[in-house]
Amino acid sequence: MNMKLIKRTYTYTALSLIPVIILGSLFCYYMIEYISYEETDEFLTYEMQRLVDYHKENNDLPQFHQVTDILPGVKYDMPTFRDTLILEPADNEMVPYRELFFTINHKGESQTLVLRHLLIGRDDIAEGTILIIAGLMILITSILYIIVNYMAGRIWTPFYKTLDRLIHFKISGPLPEFPETDIDEFKSLSTTLKTLLGKISADYRHNKEFSENSSHELQTHLAIIRATTEKLLNNPDAVPHAEELQKVYAASTKLSQVQKSLLLLSKINNREYSNAVRINFQYHVEQSLELFREAISIREIEVTSQLKPCFLVMDAGLAEIMTNNLIKNAVKHNIQQGNIAVTLDASSLIIENSGTDLPGNAETMLERFAKGEDGNIGIGLAIVKQICELYNFSISYIVSEQSLHKVTISFR
Amino acid sequence: MKLLVVEDNLNLLEAVHETMLLEKYLCEIAANYSDAHEKIFLYSYDIFIVDINLPGGSGLDLIREIKTVNPETGIIVISARNSLDNKLEGFDLGADDYVTKPFDMAELVARVKSLVRRRFFSGNNTVSNGGITINTTTREVWVMDREIGLTKSEFDILLFFFSNPGRVLTRESIAEHIWGDNMDLADSFDFIYSHIKNLRKKITEAGCSNPIRAVYGIGYKFEPE
Repeated sequence: MNMKLIKRTYTYTALSLIPVIILGSLFCYYMIEYISYEETDEFLTYEMQRLVDYHKENNDLPQFHQVTDILPGVKYDMPTFRDTLILEPADNEMVPYRELFFTINHKGESQTLVLRHLLIGRDDIAEGTILIIAGLMILITSILYIIVNYMAGRIWTPFYKTLDRLIHFKISGPLPEFPETDIDEFKSLSTTLKTLLGKISADYRHNKEFSENSSHELQTHLAIIRATTEKLLNNPDAVPHAEELQKVYAASTKLSQVQKSLLLLSKINNREYSNAVRINFQYHVEQSLELFREAISIREIEVTSQLKPCFLVMDAGLAEIMTNNLIKNAVKHNIQQGNIAVTLDASSLIIENSGTDLPGNAETMLERFAKGEDGNIGIGLAIVKQICELYNFSISYIVSEQSLHKVTISFR
Repeated sequence: MKLLVVEDNLNLLEAVHETMLLEKYLCEIAANYSDAHEKIFLYSYDIFIVDINLPGGSGLDLIREIKTVNPETGIIVISARNSLDNKLEGFDLGADDYVTKPFDMAELVARVKSLVRRRFFSGNNTVSNGGITINTTTREVWVMDREIGLTKSEFDILLFFFSNPGRVLTRESIAEHIWGDNMDLADSFDFIYSHIKNLRKKITEAGCSNPIRAVYGIGYKFEPE
């Protein structure tokens, strides 16, 4: 479950308040009850003291209405408290009372006096408890809310800044500066990220430099081989060796093409084409069809296309490579008087073409160096697949029983 | 026409130099950044052919400098990077054209000639050879004063031949000239064969003898009478 850090903090804080509420309520309840007894007992004790003093002074029992009861001949050694419930006739309800029994010696006879005072009812205590706890909770919650907000705003600021810089980090760009902080955890996060990004960035650069340098060296020397054989091919003295020269020439051409394709694959893999802009894919499909128009007419291929605007955010150069490779593939592996059907809408591109049967699984055609029937190595579709992976497009290649080749790319 | 070629690989530099001299261009060479830098400030050149990766500096900086010293110079970039990067980078700096390594000398000659036509003969864009006349701007072709209609590829091939008369053009170089990196060479040969067949037919039907000779297993040669 995804949740914002601050929301989760609220949730956990709120959950941790539940035991506080339960324990707090119990504590509060018993505390009120205890204080209520304490106060009542204290009051009754003062009252007893007053009556005992009255008795000493006047040697007279108090008036009956001043005490609850006078029990002649009953003797308590010590003043004794007792709880009792008495029916309150007005409410028809049992009401708790506290009673104090104490004995005074009146004219040589033990007289036990009973004092009685109303206790706070349990329902009243519960009500009080609920009110107190509710009030407290409202207070605590609002204070916590303010504190959590303040903490998120203050303590987590460096974290959010770091996160923001990470999100906007581009591998070809400079390393991000992480905010200064005196919190150990964030400090070590920044240091670790710095090391990690530095390593990634260096790897990216090395990879880029390596492929560029090796490509430069390789292509330069291939250019020499080509220039030299080309020169010899134009030399009348070398005519007897024309066939061998042609082999050298063809091999060097092929090698340079393979290397260019591999370099392109490696660059796509290395995410060096990050210049994503909003493009109309329809335009690129139309351009590719135009590029191969003459080749299509030489093969007498019938093209049917249903193209609708399709806006994607991707590198324009890669879009061009993608459509060129796909259309090229459909033309190249076609048959004389065959057909090509291109369907493009906002969510998918489907290219169907007639062709020859393909032994084995058609999906392997999307792999690097998949061997076609004529022994040709195909990197074109591998490049398309790589571009699809880069942009999270899904691609499938199927060959039906009627030797109909179908490439489907869904942009999602 | 005065050319300056900057390329750090001496063998390749020599091959380009020889080819350009054969084409009767005044061609000077430089093998590193500082030599090229000096020459740019001492002399003026009509065409500047430069490799991007150079010892001692970047060819892109040389382009910036020649643009300030002599903005009229036509610039052709040689690069080992693939065409996609060149499109992004080279043209931004004001390069007129680019070739990717490895290239055929025939291709480089065609690019130079095309650039010379665009830069210095903007008024007169027709070239003639052996009874065939081409207007490179309007893309019209006349054979024995009769206009013939060519497809885009046929026209491109004919102009490529015009830039390299008497030179063997391999099938590979013709394929690259038409499609760039967009065609696997082996598959394109039958297309080229069809294009050449059609081109020959159109020229001979207009009353000219066939100027395109096949060089068995290798390519074709333009030899007008």
